[in-house]
Amino acid sequence: MSENTRSVVFAALLSLICCVLITAACTGLQKYQKANVELDRQVNVVRAAGLLEGDKKFTAEEIRRIYAERIVSAWVDSQGEVLLSPPPSERTDVYPLYLCKEGDRLYATIIPLDSRGLWGRIYGYLALARDGETVVGFSVARHAETPGLGGEIESPWFTRQFKGKKIVDFEKNFVSVSIAKGEARGRVPDDRMANTVDGISGATLTGNYLSQGLKETLQRFEPFSSRLRKGEADDLRL
Amino acid sequence: MSLKQTTSYRAFKAALWGNNPISKQILGICSALAVTVQMKTAFVMALALTLVLALSNLIVSLLRHYIPRNIRIIAELVIIASLVILADQILKAFLYDVSKQLSVFVGLIITNCIVMGRAEAYAMANPPVPSFFDGLGNGLGYGLVLVAVAFIRELLGSGKIFGLQVVPDGLYEAGYSNMGLLVLAPGAFIVIGLLFWLQNTISKEKEY
Repeated sequence: MSENTRSVVFAALLSLICCVLITAACTGLQKYQKANVELDRQVNVVRAAGLLEGDKKFTAEEIRRIYAERIVSAWVDSQGEVLLSPPPSERTDVYPLYLCKEGDRLYATIIPLDSRGLWGRIYGYLALARDGETVVGFSVARHAETPGLGGEIESPWFTRQFKGKKIVDFEKNFVSVSIAKGEARGRVPDDRMANTVDGISGATLTGNYLSQGLKETLQRFEPFSSRLRKGEADDLRL
Repeated sequence: MSLKQTTSYRAFKAALWGNNPISKQILGICSALAVTVQMKTAFVMALALTLVLALSNLIVSLLRHYIPRNIRIIAELVIIASLVILADQILKAFLYDVSKQLSVFVGLIITNCIVMGRAEAYAMANPPVPSFFDGLGNGLGYGLVLVAVAFIRELLGSGKIFGLQVVPDGLYEAGYSNMGLLVLAPGAFIVIGLLFWLQNTISKEKEY
């Protein structure tokens, strides 16, 4: 066999073996991976709703139970109407979200966040209380930010800060929640402290993108949130 | 023959100190900058790289008589890339949290010069067992530097070790503050430089 044929045969064989190995591993492990991804989604949804507070560790089983008991999938349209069943696919003004219930009353709305980040998209959830203005919790599900810098957005010290913040100013106008450049105190006026959380030093850009993403996302759900602010939460039966 | 005279042992030991991949071969610097902000990521990265490196060295060495010289680099790369994808898939299936922590860095093991460098420099010319130990040694040598740098950066940069607060609150109230520079990439350059200096000084003293 000539040198060249030998190279081609070797390359083909090596590629074939590697292909088979990787395909086998991917399909074989897919079941476990899917279960992990699904559980991770549920963890982040219930965490945003503030149902996982304290130092207690929750098992996968407990998470699934809490999720099944408290969370329902829903959709809202641009008029702020809630749909509890999947909307027809031709409607483009409908956005998915999760509703957390207490009994048959609304407890919190959990808004899925899909924001630009520095290195990739940031996916997470922001939960608003039934008053439509107070943040109940925030969680980051997936991101590609630098560990230790922008990656800190998923740390408890960062996400915890969102609890109790308002998405409206004192005149009840929508302003969203934003991330300061470094520590918020002293950098933003006192009347905006309720709308601002401390940023991460060394990760100003991640913070800026996330602020922007939060604003765009919350804006989209504003028709619904403003109805909640008028006290219409009790009209909803879940 | 005692353990200390085997080629495997020598290959293993050289990589830890005298021929350390980061400080002596100057390989794998990029990832040493990127993952050393926290000890946890540095530790897992070191572990993942050691595993991939040892296995890739072993496989390349087993195939070294069959790999045609003109396509050897691409063949090595295919082996390394397959191993990294396997490692990533396994992490995603069984250690999901860790895989989320490492995010892009697992994939970046492929581009770590140490893996390619050791396959080229050692595994292509040596039998499987010493190659395996060379991979193990280089991975651990890399890990040693990584964890040392991460220790300094996490302690001085965020006042923590393995994510646990070690600098007491009282000290912060007394006016102490974390050194922000160390959290950023330039901080890693400085720490790595200082470590090289320290190692070279110690090595020189030994020679005389």
